[in-house]
Amino acid sequence: MNEVFRELQVSLEAGTPAVVATVAATRGSTPRRAGARMLVRADGSSCGTIGGGCGEAEVIVAAMEAHEDGRPRLVRVDLTNPLDGDDKICGGVMDVFVERLAP
Amino acid sequence: MAQTATARILAEVAAALEGGPPVLVATVIDAPAGATAEVGAKMLVRPDGSSVGRLGDEILDAAVLDEAPDVFRRHSVETVYVDRSGQRLSRLDAAEGDVYQVMLEVHERPATLLIVGAGHVGKALAIIGDMCGFSVEIIDDRPEFANAERFPEADRITCGRFDEVLDGYPIDSNTYVVCVTRGHKHDETSLRLVAPSEAAYVGMIGSKRRVGAVLQHLIEDGINPRAVERVHTPIGLDIGAETPEEIAVSIMAEIIRARRGGSALSMREVVRPRRGVAPEDRERPSAKL
Repeated sequence: MNEVFRELQVSLEAGTPAVVATVAATRGSTPRRAGARMLVRADGSSCGTIGGGCGEAEVIVAAMEAHEDGRPRLVRVDLTNPLDGDDKICGGVMDVFVERLAP
Repeated sequence: MAQTATARILAEVAAALEGGPPVLVATVIDAPAGATAEVGAKMLVRPDGSSVGRLGDEILDAAVLDEAPDVFRRHSVETVYVDRSGQRLSRLDAAEGDVYQVMLEVHERPATLLIVGAGHVGKALAIIGDMCGFSVEIIDDRPEFANAERFPEADRITCGRFDEVLDGYPIDSNTYVVCVTRGHKHDETSLRLVAPSEAAYVGMIGSKRRVGAVLQHLIEDGINPRAVERVHTPIGLDIGAETPEEIAVSIMAEIIRARRGGSALSMREVVRPRRGVAPEDRERPSAKL
């Protein structure tokens, strides 16, 4: 079983919620394709990757918000703006679904 | 209630990843204002069309059930855009905030790469196959080749005569079989047993002339001509591969194309947009069987 699901099971069996972020759709060049997943725990630690530097930080922020309010959200990660100078050289857009799964 | 359905869905996903039947999970990831289906709602669909949970809007449930067989076939994760009347839209036609966005994810155990022949090409293929997420299985009749020291990346290694091992060997529609033994006699013996299987892909190494003779023998021996015709041989994509490692890349590229669909052209020669296109506008992968 892949790492994210294994860790999700570990979390849920331990009675702790976890946030799963899944790349739902992409257009243009993105570091990873639909189906890439990352798990973010309430302490901010994570496993799996949806593409690293390219936008992952934004998703982790959204994941922490989801831990707070429990609401699922769709995060648009825009990697097209070269003026950001923030390692966003990929050039595409990713829709990432962020949801908290509780035991 | 909703929690119970989610727990059941996650349990079935876990079972699928461990080798059970594949499942599809549909999740509402965006909904029009005032819609009955809520963001986060999930439904699990099995290959037989039965389901667990509901998305909260019967029209949406029906649209997902309708789409499921294609998504299973593509082994994919994709987002579909559905308006409130149940009409599928392409992403470009979907006015944001006005349509449902539903993420469809197929969960299944990793595909199997069955490598018949543990020589140089087999070894390179095992490494690349493992890297690409396949569960790698090895067969060879030489104990000094078919062993865990040589193939630490393999999930299953069987040492024995090719005809004996392959007779009854489990090969399902998520198995990709590559015949790369040390000699075309062994390749022919192996192909005879794997060609009629359910395998998603069967390939055999060899020169054009030699493989033509092998295929002819199989047909003369009464193997279903359709099964023989679908064998990818000579194997691999034409990238000018020379070394065993390069040949393994060429073979894996052909397998990925069979699995995912694709033109096998250089990206810069591809003009057709492949993502964000409604399935009816998408070209069917020609290598899919």
